[in-house]
Amino acid sequence: MKIALTGNPNSGKTTLFNAITGKIEHVGNWPGVTVEKKEGTIKSAYNPRGVDITAVDLPGAYSMNPYTSEENITKKFIFDENPDVIINIVDSANLSRSLFFTTQLLELGIPVVVALNKSDLVEKKGNTIHAGALSQHLNCPIVTTTATKSSENGLELLIAECIRHVEKPHKQIAAKIDGLKEAENEKEFKAADKKRYAFVDKIVSEVERRSISSHEQTKQDKIDRIVAHRVIGIPIFAAAIWAIFWVSQAWLGPIIADWLVGLLEGFQGWVGASVEGASPILSALLVDGIIGGVIAVVGFLPLIMVMFFLMALLEDCGYMARVSVVMDRYFKKIGLSGRSIIPMVIGTACGIPGVMASRTIKDERQRRTTAMLTPFMPCGAKLPIIALFAGVFFGDAAWVGTTMYFLAIVVIIISALIVRKITGDTSQSYFIIELPEYRFPSFKRATISMLSRGKAFVIKAATIVLVCNAVIHIMQTFTWDFAVTEVASESILASIANPFAIALLPLGFGLWQFAAAAVTGFIAKENVVGTLAVTFGISNFIDVDALELMGETGASAGVESAFAIGSVAALAYLVFNLFTPPCFACIGAIRAEVDSAKWTWGAVGFQLAMGYVLAFLVYQGGTLITTGALGQSFMQGLIVVIAICAFIGYLMASGSKKQTA
Amino acid sequence: MISLSKGKTNTRYTVVEILTGDDSMIEFLFSLGCYPGQGVTIISKLGSNFIINVKDARYSIDEQLAKAIQVEN
Repeated sequence: MKIALTGNPNSGKTTLFNAITGKIEHVGNWPGVTVEKKEGTIKSAYNPRGVDITAVDLPGAYSMNPYTSEENITKKFIFDENPDVIINIVDSANLSRSLFFTTQLLELGIPVVVALNKSDLVEKKGNTIHAGALSQHLNCPIVTTTATKSSENGLELLIAECIRHVEKPHKQIAAKIDGLKEAENEKEFKAADKKRYAFVDKIVSEVERRSISSHEQTKQDKIDRIVAHRVIGIPIFAAAIWAIFWVSQAWLGPIIADWLVGLLEGFQGWVGASVEGASPILSALLVDGIIGGVIAVVGFLPLIMVMFFLMALLEDCGYMARVSVVMDRYFKKIGLSGRSIIPMVIGTACGIPGVMASRTIKDERQRRTTAMLTPFMPCGAKLPIIALFAGVFFGDAAWVGTTMYFLAIVVIIISALIVRKITGDTSQSYFIIELPEYRFPSFKRATISMLSRGKAFVIKAATIVLVCNAVIHIMQTFTWDFAVTEVASESILASIANPFAIALLPLGFGLWQFAAAAVTGFIAKENVVGTLAVTFGISNFIDVDALELMGETGASAGVESAFAIGSVAALAYLVFNLFTPPCFACIGAIRAEVDSAKWTWGAVGFQLAMGYVLAFLVYQGGTLITTGALGQSFMQGLIVVIAICAFIGYLMASGSKKQTA
Repeated sequence: MISLSKGKTNTRYTVVEILTGDDSMIEFLFSLGCYPGQGVTIISKLGSNFIINVKDARYSIDEQLAKAIQVEN
């Protein structure tokens, strides 16, 4: 049997879904967190007789007339997959709007159980809802729930109610709405909807008592006037992001990472000692290739987990919707809207859910542009690259991460302008977003979110990254005639990577190791650090001071000298990796959202061009400033960059023509 | 009749008409309970953004949308 969870955006569907299934799907306090359906089986605690039940969490919708594509998923599911019961989650603080959708659901003939969720907030505000009377008006059972609580949350009763309905199948009888008849055309539909609303207004006035009208000003509105202020809002957003980076990458993250890497290296040493008698090639593959490469990546796990934890707190408190308000006026100027910032902020954890979040944007060009540009935000998998280069070349400075974040925003702004020109579409759209109530972020939810994302990272490191590292290690151990070589530059890997490296010469890092790492990065960005570790034979990127103690002079000179590039070229490499196309999985997500081969290829080509041009500018410009001379292969690079710019300029010019035509 | 963008904060208005060629926006506003005959209050004006109350929820809308919503006292 199948239960569908439906309701308005941000009514707490996914929180309730997680509570009844024990799953850990992503939750957040803003409308539009869930953009696809998720399935799970009900926990045995709520299903003592073990009835076969699948719960399906659906994206939020305001009505059965979908506005954005994720609302359409909900409508399609209910019509096509015939759930046995619909749980309609209603935000108790917003009966007068939520029940409109309820009246529509009641007319489908599928049994509906209403969960009056967030009921704790009703009490807190001194409001009352007469659930019994409401149940009579609606002709369906009503259960008051608080899905955020772990006990006395009403969920047991809710599930019991659903099971009762399935075991005694019946057709739902719709609420009795005066004068409502089957609508046959558009006009009658609208008239019917008005009748539904009038009915809801009437019953809400009967069953609900509010201590203060929602039209009154509250403390929350005062906070909004500061946080969403057109001027002050920007530094507040910047400070929040800076704090997240500072804590995760310059303070708490590295402290934990130091300790973790110490443990892992102990393990690596132990394995090394225990395979001492084995074939040197095999033990090198195991100890340096597989274990060393994975340690290099997993060492960054604490930094990422601390960041995920802080991001979860930010998402939980209700601030995200305000960010989109602050950014709307600026994003409008570049042809996007405030809606586009949410995918981008989510993209700082992982680009794939970020790209998928662009689904909540109604306008097609804006949605496609957002999906295409979201991967420019440094995702969790790119963090190790940032942290590595910040640690080795810039003394762990928090400004490196923060700068990359804001550089990403600048790049997105420029790119959005270019895309708008190329498409020749300068249309504007309206902006509207519901502002959820602020709440104190839950440490428990943040911990759960951190652990689940951390787990995904470890799994990736132990599978994709491990295999890639092993392959890279083998490829750099052997020559084409399968002889073992001591000179890595004669290896299979070097010979394959060299042509790419030549193309990277004008960017300052034309070494085959860097080229190989950039290429494996397309499989997963975690690979970049892993491949660098294997090809340069270093596994401890975290505790660079320890390398210093090993006889090198100057901070982190060990890794720095091994890399054999200067800090300007290092910064260029960092920029190159951040702004070239994302991993294949993310490109797949882009393809799904833009739903057009032309846009997908355009996105990948554009990202490649952007990464190359930016790295060129950073390296050549930086070299000119620091040494007074141009970097290597300037002319060759300049030709490529001019060719890229000319092509994009041509596309922009023909786009503008389209617009005037 | 004035457009909501010219309205005062903390005053309860009634929606008269929504003037836009974007029918899907009219439908969307309807699903939020913002349609002729319904109440709307401006909570704050933040530059070109308006925070409004419709039914029992707060929304942020931009100036263009505020201009499209026609209200009266």
